Amino acid sequence: MNLLNSPAMNLLERAMDAAALRQKTIANNVANVDTPFFKRSDVKFEELLQRELEGTTITGYRTDPRHFYIGGKPLIQPEIVTDEHTAMNNNLNNVDIDYEMSLMAKNQLRYNVMVQQINHDLRQIRTAIEGRR
Amino acid sequence: MKLTNGFDISSSALTAQRLRMDVISSNIANADTTRVKMVDGKWVPYRRKMVVMEPIKESSFAQMLNHSMNAGPGEGVKITRILEDRSPLKPVYNPTHPDADENGYVMMPNVDILKEMVDMISATRSYEANVTALNATKAMMTKALEIGR
Repeated sequence: MNLLNSPAMNLLERAMDAAALRQKTIANNVANVDTPFFKRSDVKFEELLQRELEGTTITGYRTDPRHFYIGGKPLIQPEIVTDEHTAMNNNLNNVDIDYEMSLMAKNQLRYNVMVQQINHDLRQIRTAIEGRR
Repeated sequence: MKLTNGFDISSSALTAQRLRMDVISSNIANADTTRVKMVDGKWVPYRRKMVVMEPIKESSFAQMLNHSMNAGPGEGVKITRILEDRSPLKPVYNPTHPDADENGYVMMPNVDILKEMVDMISATRSYEANVTALNATKAMMTKALEIGR
């Protein structure tokens, strides 16, 4: 019996970690909007999760913890990817401030949704503990 | 703590943009300055200054650790140096000027007010964008405090 360690809670925690990391990454992109030769980065998490949930990848069965993972790690970690191949300005910087700002707003909303969801789960657990009084 | 660094990143950019603004102010203030220093008995006029921005590199150990852990979105921005614009000075015909040469020309600073104004708008907008980013990070942290209420 694990009350706070349900798969949904775990997933939400990891998704929130990813959102926090993305916020930091976008803040760094915005900070470097005028830096020559700077290339923007983004955090990949939801796509990886989607791919995992669809189950299209073959995963190897591991009988020993020292074995390699086949078909990716079971615990998906957020990945930072840098866009090296585009240019936005004459100084080869590729930060599009409008895009970054909208991305940040989206990320913030997503974070708020996840906080709400966690709160909802916790409230349900609390109801179960206390009972209807 | 993962989120607090977002503050450092945004505030490093605020510092950088403010310094850039200071440099622009200096350029505008000195648009007509003809005497900065004496070189070989002649006064040298002011030269336009500009900032060089660079992403902050982590210290080598943290960098290697982050690299091996595939994490770390960068640490913000900093101004590494302030350079002088080497473009030619503007000769202006003004024989009554105390610094005029024998032909009546004065070398005026290579400051273009129009360019400075545009740069100033750019710096202001960047500053605003970073304030927005900072506020967004703050809103997220405030929201996180609501967990379990």
